[in-house]
Formats: sequence, C-alpha cells, structure tokens
Amino acid sequence: MTEPLIPQLKKALFGWFYPFKYNIERWAYALQRISGIAVTGYFLAHIVETGNVVGGLDVWSTPPTSYAQDVWTATFQFLDNPMFDLGLVVIGFMLTYHTVNGIRLTLAEFGFLQGRPARPDFPYTPKSFGMAQRAIFWLSVILAAATAVYAINIFFGA
Amino acid sequence: MKESTKMLLHYITGLGIVIVGGIHLFTVFLTGPYEQNLAFSGGPYSVISVYRSFILALTLELLLVFVDYHALNGIRVILIEFHQGAKWERGVSWILAVAGLLLFVYGTRTILIANALA
Repeated sequence: MTEPLIPQLKKALFGWFYPFKYNIERWAYALQRISGIAVTGYFLAHIVETGNVVGGLDVWSTPPTSYAQDVWTATFQFLDNPMFDLGLVVIGFMLTYHTVNGIRLTLAEFGFLQGRPARPDFPYTPKSFGMAQRAIFWLSVILAAATAVYAINIFFGA
Repeated sequence: MKESTKMLLHYITGLGIVIVGGIHLFTVFLTGPYEQNLAFSGGPYSVISVYRSFILALTLELLLVFVDYHALNGIRVILIEFHQGAKWERGVSWILAVAGLLLFVYGTRTILIANALA
C-alpha cells in the first residue's frame, strides 16, 4: 500500500528541491524550505552552545561567573576560524532570505498582493504571483546577498 | 489543535521573530564594536550584560519561545507533507511537541542561570 521509504524520499526531495523547468515561485519555495532547515540547525546549535556556557547538562546549579567566562572564551576561540565564519555568512544569507520571503508568504496567506483572477492565456503567467510578489521575492534575494556581504566584511574584512 | 490554528500561530510567531530577533541582532551588531558585544563582559551589550538586563533577557526568552515553535512546526509541515496518514501525523506532532518542550526548558534554564550569574 505505502511506497518503500527510499523511493518515497527520492520523490519528495526531487519534488521539493528541483526547481528547474518551473517558474520563479518554485525557486522561492525551495529556497524557503532549505533556508528554514538551515536556520533550524543553527538554532539547535545555538541552544547547545549557550547552554554549555552555564554548565550544560552536568551542572544544575548556578556555576561561578569565572567558569562561564572561561567556557565562553574557549567557545569563542574554538569557533573563530574561517570554516565557521563561512558558515555564518551562509546562515546570514539564509536568515535574511527566509525573513523577507516569509513576510511575502504572510501577506499572501492573508490575501494581500494576490492579483485578480483572469482568463488563462498563453504563456499562462500565474496571476497569484504578480509584480508585487515578484518584487518582494527579488528584494529578499538582494537583501540576503547584502547580509552575506556585510558578514564577509565583518569576518574577512580588514 | 486545528491545523489552521497551528498555521496561524506559525505566522504570528514568524512576525514575532522579526521583532525580537531584530532586537537580538541589533544589540549584537549595531550597538558598538562587534568584538566588544561578543566578549563575555565589559560593555553594555556584552554577553553577560544582555542576560543580566531583565528586559533584554525577556526578549531572549520570547525569541526562544517564538523560534522554538516556528522551527519545530516548520519541520512538522515538512514531515507531514513527506508522508500522509493519521498515525504518522499524530506521531510526528507529538514527538516534535515533546522535543520543543525539552528545548524550551533547556533554553529557559540557560537564560535563568545566566541572568542570576553574580
């Protein structure tokens, strides 16, 4: 009755993350989902990282401030390398894209910027994804790129 | 909870993140030298100073709640789109709800302890 897991997974990943041959909205969707997963990964790491500073799962009372300071400094030095900096540049891009495109999705969800229904004529441009929404989509890409440039400047600039 | 309520909460928490997440990023990047704000102590927006301020610690707690719900509900949406069925949907929802609660407790513990650090 149900498909085996591997073909099902393959189908799902292709359906979600293969935006070629479709219009730009499909790219927006794939990027929104990828960035959501990426930022969730950052969130989990951030919870663990900040939790470690106050003792992690080992300490269940308030540790000395010097202990927290030592762990924080050690964590900061451990993370201060080009690999993690590059990761943060990518996370910055993803976060800004997800935010601005998310605002577009929220507007669409509550019925704004939807366009009017019209007779479908060749080449069938979707009325629900009109100029305003396209503008916000491209704005999200531009702002995301600007965030990445800002982050590169912080991490790799002089 | 109805599916539409869950999604309404998804959009509300999303907009909430734009606000409190904006405050969080503002205190880190736009209130002074980045190095000073990421140092453990020493500046008005250094790591421990943010936790010690009641208002700023409260924004961190709100950010934790909002991102916790938004992220785990996002994963739930992906997983129930991946496979359909009442049993799967209930299982995924419950497991993620428990995971979200654990994350909330652990994150809140971090904020409370850091707030109390002498």
